[in-house]
Amino acid sequence: MSAADRLQTTIAGLDRSRVALYAVLLALVAFYLAPLESGFMTAFKTPDGFRTTTPFALPPLGEFTLSAWGTAFDRLSNGLLNSALMAVPATVLSALFGSLAAYGLTNLSWRGQIGVLVLFVAGVFIPYQAVLVPLTQFWSFVDLGGRIPLALVADNEGLINLSITHVAYGIPICTVLFRSYYATIDDEMLEAARLDGASAATIYRRIILPLSVPIFAVTLIYQFTQIWNDLLFAIVLVSNPSNQVVTVALNQLQGSFVQQFNLQMAGAFVAALPTLVVYVLFGEQFAKGVAGDS
Amino acid sequence: MARLELDSVTKRFGEGDGSVLAVDDVDVDIADGEFLVLVGPSGCGKSTTLRMVAGLESITDGEIRLDGDRMNEQGPAERDIAMVFQSYALYPHMTVRQNMRFGLEESTDLSDEEMDGRVDETAELLDITELLDRKPGALSGGQRQRVALGRAIVREPKAFLMDEPLSNLDAKLRSQMRTELQQLQADLDTTTVYVTHDQTEAMTMGDRIAILDAGELQQVATPLEAYHRPANQFVAGFIGEPSMNFIDCATEDATLVDGGFRYPLGDEVGEAVADAADVTLGIRPEDLSVDASADASGGDAAGDHAFDATVTVVEPMGDENVVHLSLADGPELVATVNGLRRIESGTDVIVSIPENAIHVFDGDSGDALHNRSLDDAELDDARV
Repeated sequence: MSAADRLQTTIAGLDRSRVALYAVLLALVAFYLAPLESGFMTAFKTPDGFRTTTPFALPPLGEFTLSAWGTAFDRLSNGLLNSALMAVPATVLSALFGSLAAYGLTNLSWRGQIGVLVLFVAGVFIPYQAVLVPLTQFWSFVDLGGRIPLALVADNEGLINLSITHVAYGIPICTVLFRSYYATIDDEMLEAARLDGASAATIYRRIILPLSVPIFAVTLIYQFTQIWNDLLFAIVLVSNPSNQVVTVALNQLQGSFVQQFNLQMAGAFVAALPTLVVYVLFGEQFAKGVAGDS
Repeated sequence: MARLELDSVTKRFGEGDGSVLAVDDVDVDIADGEFLVLVGPSGCGKSTTLRMVAGLESITDGEIRLDGDRMNEQGPAERDIAMVFQSYALYPHMTVRQNMRFGLEESTDLSDEEMDGRVDETAELLDITELLDRKPGALSGGQRQRVALGRAIVREPKAFLMDEPLSNLDAKLRSQMRTELQQLQADLDTTTVYVTHDQTEAMTMGDRIAILDAGELQQVATPLEAYHRPANQFVAGFIGEPSMNFIDCATEDATLVDGGFRYPLGDEVGEAVADAADVTLGIRPEDLSVDASADASGGDAAGDHAFDATVTVVEPMGDENVVHLSLADGPELVATVNGLRRIESGTDVIVSIPENAIHVFDGDSGDALHNRSLDDAELDDARV
């Protein structure tokens, strides 16, 4: 076999493996995106449309409608607002507290640090189901609405309780995320700042915080998605229908007699939209934070 | 500007049986405006000592005084000390100007104009004015080094602490910065403690050097004193490049013996070593004289202090040749000779060890029993 022949076989072999690779990747993409595409198509179909066509097919002529989106948005709008009121402060606060805790546990040194850190790490692994009963008992004991005679508090008691709960349960994972980032910060730089006369609080404010932007993006996206998508705490802690968050409202789009798949699918997309927006807003910083680029 | 005193300073890491003694009872008195170099091999406790002075490390025992005031309980911010770190430790998100201003903003009540004035002045001194608006990421290693220095200088502290500030620079820049730092310290006249593992930096930069080993202070002396009058074998071996030659010997009737190697001593040296059974003979490479061998010159290894040897390796450095020798009677020696002399490896030579240049150390304690003879006046003059 000549050298040229050998080269040709190599190229041919390479080509075949390349083709196979792309075929497999494409199949995986289709497999992964099929449910999303099916949902999206179904959301644009009339009831007749989704009954008579396969889920992933385009809506047939005359069976295309936007009414499901309109209805879904109407029925979820209050839930969207409540979710935003609950999730935004919970996300920001849990990230901020997590960052502060991580700073204290990573860049400052004091006695008993490891013990406290272990508690934080253990907190990450607490299953939500295990705390549901004590949590409801706790909030009925606290009775925010009864203790604080303000209409604002009484009207939104469920949301406030839920928000505070999410802050508390978000702090451990936020702390762990921030800690891994803060461990990479040059100790000598912080020592230089101490010699420059900065207090621990000043070092946090003027050095740690400005350097934390990428990891804040990671944590904010992660926490926002977690809190926004939570259903369990929302069902258990919020009883007042006017405080209903979007996940609970979405769950109620499921009709009891007739399955309105188009409405459910449109609703699912409406409910998921804010998490998508957050990802787009912080995406660039997120990539930096994940890549560990500071 | 201040006098800095370390009084029996001790640092122990950990408690109980597992504790490690990092710095053991170190006494140094650093005069106002003095440049003291703290030198030793890695792990000898020199950085720990510096960090204790800075307040970044607690002091287990002893006292550190700055201008007579006890510093032990003061935090790093209250000591009015500035430190330059090996990694430069610049704040990456701030511009050079902000980096230099940070310390002024946090530790002084100066107005904005005064701070900017101080920064501009220091930047000019260090020739970094055009870098003031850049961030550290956009600077070269040498430029970062200057900014780190500037950040310390701008605060006009009582003392500078420098922790191996030049070790991240390439060789050429390092020797240039070495000179510049010395000049700068002389101009500012600020008490400075400089930590390094590099004996060249120690020799060339310091008014005095303090040599540490395993947490213990070995000697505090001017560089030339440490070179010519080492307190013990460790200092003798650490200072000087290539290192001093050592031959472990026994003493027999005022003669140093190591197998077939016999080195008779004169009265003065003989007396100094009379009480020690085991000693170490030390001789600096430049004090050995290497001459053509008997075969070539027709002479003979005459005299008690001349020995037959074979050249094993020659390292030409340009200005000098480093010659590795194997003595016929056993010991291996390193000598330096003029760079213009041609010496081939494998040739036989005669090596003379002049008695007025030898050092003798106690075999057990390593303490110097005898140091080379020198005109004392000459040594003192050398500091001028």
